[in-house]
Amino acid sequence: MQGKGLLVGLGITIKHFFRKKETVQYPEEKLPMPETFRGGKLVLDEKKCIACKMCSMACPNKALDLTVEIDENKKRHMKKYIHKSGRCLYCDFCVEACPTKAISWNRDYEISCYHKDELTYDAVENNRKDDTHE
Amino acid sequence: MHYGLLMSIANMLSNGINSIVNSRIGTQIIMALIEIIAIFAVISVAVIILVYMERRVCGFIQDRLGPNRVGPFGILQTVADMIKLMTKEDIIPKKAHKILWGITPMLLFVPAALVYAVYPFGDGAIFADVNIGIFFVMAVMSQSVLMFLLGGFASENKYSFIGSMRAVAQMLSSEIPMAFSILAVVMITGSLKMSDIVSAQSNAWFVVLQPLAFIIFIISMIMETNRTPFNLVEGESEIIAGPFTEYSGMRWALFFLSEYANLLSAAILTVTLFLGGWHGPLLPGVFWFIIKVFIVIFIFMWISWTYPRTRIDQMMSLSWKILLPLALLNIVVTGIGVYIYKWMY
Ligand code: SF4
Ligand code: SF4
Repeated sequence: MQGKGLLVGLGITIKHFFRKKETVQYPEEKLPMPETFRGGKLVLDEKKCIACKMCSMACPNKALDLTVEIDENKKRHMKKYIHKSGRCLYCDFCVEACPTKAISWNRDYEISCYHKDELTYDAVENNRKDDTHE
Repeated sequence: MHYGLLMSIANMLSNGINSIVNSRIGTQIIMALIEIIAIFAVISVAVIILVYMERRVCGFIQDRLGPNRVGPFGILQTVADMIKLMTKEDIIPKKAHKILWGITPMLLFVPAALVYAVYPFGDGAIFADVNIGIFFVMAVMSQSVLMFLLGGFASENKYSFIGSMRAVAQMLSSEIPMAFSILAVVMITGSLKMSDIVSAQSNAWFVVLQPLAFIIFIISMIMETNRTPFNLVEGESEIIAGPFTEYSGMRWALFFLSEYANLLSAAILTVTLFLGGWHGPLLPGVFWFIIKVFIVIFIFMWISWTYPRTRIDQMMSLSWKILLPLALLNIVVTGIGVYIYKWMY
């Protein structure tokens, strides 16, 4: 019958009216980012890192600036792991290139900042900060 | 004589003023002023509530929450928006007819507010119970089409002008089926007086006696108030905001205000003509009136957020080819019905 579709439409909208709402109340509620999300800061696991610099070599944009220190046992340590996130493409090449899976993203999407130099950070220093925090 | 709640309050008020002022004319003048302020208060409070309600209903239908940040449950959102609009820069187009252009938003508000004079809000609570009540409503309501035309013309903008032409076409073609559907109600009541129409429904609401007229009335009311699916006066992708394109800030807010005042008066008319006005059990009349008005407004919003908008030709053919013949048929059937009824009793 003509006009039945109108009633069907009204039925659908009233069902949606009472349905659970999809809105995420952003600052209070946050969606968890998926496993494959590339973004935020790089987290360096210093125990796994062998300081081979493969990551910075893989970087197409020269966003990684690493300083390696060699101790008395001829063991290589990462001294500074500077990530210039302003240059970063978030291409994930660094993470893929790492032979020991020592770096990963912290999957934080609230990375906007007021000053340009806040975009550059040192992952090693961040680790120290976290340590003193705990 | 039996009076409703609103009327008792008004009587108490006028007695109080009388004892202070001690002159009949003085009391009447003060009461008239209070009544005028009351109309404006009702309209502005209702508009604030309606805008909020519209956005919430729209949000809920689209699985969103709508405004819920400003104040508890976001009820102060409209107030915040109003403040924003008032503080905005007042932009006047260079080539516009300044005076005409400037007074149009205010003029548009006049018919929107004027019709409230004859609405029965409760038992006996009606500002002017004129004996051509419903006729007055229709006559005044159709004035708003002039302001749309004026606004579009004075803006000197082609989009505004096309929009206002559309408004005229739309409102003229919606008013005729609306008038005929109202006529069916008037035929049963035998009076144009609003209070008579309401009291005729003390036993059976006219929606039961006149279902076809009710549907025609609702559709033509949606056309009259320019709401989706018939909001052809506006159209972001084709004629922008129609006649309001050049208006901004406070002037635009006035358009907005009269749009929602018209929505409220459409709901009040529906309740008065078809849903028994303030009649209802237990609660005082005015509460029933408010409840019914809000249900009708909800239905209007529900309809708007369900259907996509029509094209202008579809809307015109709906109103001239379908609604008008149906309304005429309804009048014939009602006429025969009334005749048989009178012959039997
Ligand atoms: S994601 Fe790409 S651009 Fe960014 S640091 Fe890693 S390799 Fe360089
Ligand atoms: S590629 Fe991996 S192991 Fe090598 S320096 Fe980079 S983070 Fe360390």
